[in-house]
Amino acid sequence: MTAGDEPPAVPDRPEAPFLLPGELAIDTAIARRAIGEFIRGQLRQAGFDRAVIGLSGGIDSALVAYLVAEAIGAERLLCILMPYRTSSPASRTDAEEVVRRLGCASDVVDISPMVDAYFGEADGAGAGGGDARSASPLRRGNFMARVRMTVLYDRSVTWGGLVVGTSNKTEALIGYTTLFGDAACAFAPIGDLYKTQVRQLSMAIGVPDAIIRKAPSADLWPGQTDEAEAGFSYPELDRLLQAMVDRRRSDEELDALGFAPELVARVQRLVATSEFKRQVPPVAKLGPRTAGVDYLYPRRRPGSARTRPG
Amino acid sequence: MQPLRIAVAQVAPALGLLDENIERHRALLAEARAVGAGLVVFPELGLTGYLLQDLASEVAMRLDDPRLRLLAADTRGLSAIVSFVEESPDHRLFIAAALVEDGELRAVHRKLFLPTYGLFDERRFFAAGDALRAFPSRLGVRVGISICEDFWHLSVPSLLALDGAHILVNVSSSPGRDIASAHEEGLGTAASWRQLLRTYAQLTTSFVVFCNRVGVDETIGFWGGSQVVAPNGDVLLSAPLYDEGLFVADVELGDVRRERIALPLLRDERPELAVRELQRIVAERAGLVADDDGDGT
Repeated sequence: MTAGDEPPAVPDRPEAPFLLPGELAIDTAIARRAIGEFIRGQLRQAGFDRAVIGLSGGIDSALVAYLVAEAIGAERLLCILMPYRTSSPASRTDAEEVVRRLGCASDVVDISPMVDAYFGEADGAGAGGGDARSASPLRRGNFMARVRMTVLYDRSVTWGGLVVGTSNKTEALIGYTTLFGDAACAFAPIGDLYKTQVRQLSMAIGVPDAIIRKAPSADLWPGQTDEAEAGFSYPELDRLLQAMVDRRRSDEELDALGFAPELVARVQRLVATSEFKRQVPPVAKLGPRTAGVDYLYPRRRPGSARTRPG
Repeated sequence: MQPLRIAVAQVAPALGLLDENIERHRALLAEARAVGAGLVVFPELGLTGYLLQDLASEVAMRLDDPRLRLLAADTRGLSAIVSFVEESPDHRLFIAAALVEDGELRAVHRKLFLPTYGLFDERRFFAAGDALRAFPSRLGVRVGISICEDFWHLSVPSLLALDGAHILVNVSSSPGRDIASAHEEGLGTAASWRQLLRTYAQLTTSFVVFCNRVGVDETIGFWGGSQVVAPNGDVLLSAPLYDEGLFVADVELGDVRRERIALPLLRDERPELAVRELQRIVAERAGLVADDDGDGT
């Protein structure tokens, strides 16, 4: 893995600051309505009326913040900004702009002391031992994502709200997520939207233009961008995933559609190797009735809500 | 014939909360009565919620259940269609829709086609019904009841119309999906259903009443969009997508006669031809006789 080069060029047209292939275009009014019902339904059935989001300054968490604010009101939303000392200052500014525009509660938790306490700093080893000082960006990135998760779940108690996930379908399918890190949540409103659809919906709902236009980045190290790191563009990747997953195209059909066989093979490998990230861990079947196997209940059912739905 | 006011209860049932849903049904029956409705239609599993899984046995009711009698008592001077999990005397669980009139449970339709593919897993939890009948009703015409997936099989509207139904009622818990902007309705599911409802009304020259729920069970959001379609295909009521509410349409039941005189499709139907060919096809598919074409299919 290397840090990115130049961010991909963005067309200079205010109405479409990104490429949206026609087959990926969605009806944004329906999407907002369906997602709003989903958010309200999940909270009500769990006995909650508040939500917590980790706001990174990127488009996914910004869109989820807008969707949650639209569904339950900004006054019930807490956004937590959790920068590390090397995080991009622009991310912080963009996240603060979302908070300002929505008028929701927010808090900043600098995760640097927690992360450094494990990996150590120049002047000494941390809790992770000497080996951790030379940890790869991947190890550090995963650790940071899980530290942010623990902060969110801690604040979900004090705020009295559920943690809302910000993963999208593209990253979930290729496994560009940290298990029990950014992927951890009570529910995932945009988990069935591809990245290009996230952009389209963000435009429709009014996410700040600067956030929509900038190159997506996990911001794990300075200058990193998703697309440079992965080596393909989101519109291209989304078209391929949609053809493979949603439309069940065979390799021959994908070839005929013009997808490069090397790209197809690579993406298929990413999808297959990350299958475990999209499922709950398997339980060894021993007893007569086993959760997830032959003990099958809706997760929200009579008696499961924190309090009776009001 | 008297004009009939049909009320469609596009509700969001609470999953597994039978008593709460019964109270909601009773309140809506009162509301429908107040606006002069003669027929009130509730969605599939409106008394229990849809994604029950192992809860199915816990919310199941025998047809003599006192809670059903309580609900039925609210239907004096009304016809209502309500849906729940029915437990038969031999302990099979069915997705059922009952015609309840004048305080009594008159007839029950058990869901015939249980989707078990894609996001559906009904056959795992339920038994499939074995009978399809158009039920006589106090409305003076027969009512043909079907449940959601039943309507995705052509034989169902066809048989109900041949059996004398003037009103085909479909109660649904249809999950909304496919939000590609290419769809006319903005929702693929809505576009498919609406095409099908109009087509059935026209081909059977009957009224079609479609009641679909709203709300959310787990990952599934239900899209509502209930409709009433006239025998000539005119859409008399198109309820909004996702909004909960009681929506009404006034229909002239005499339109069925007018339409069938002008367009005698049912008169010209050939059920004896269908029976003959179906007997042959069933035998061939079972491998009991050789296929005439000899192509092995």
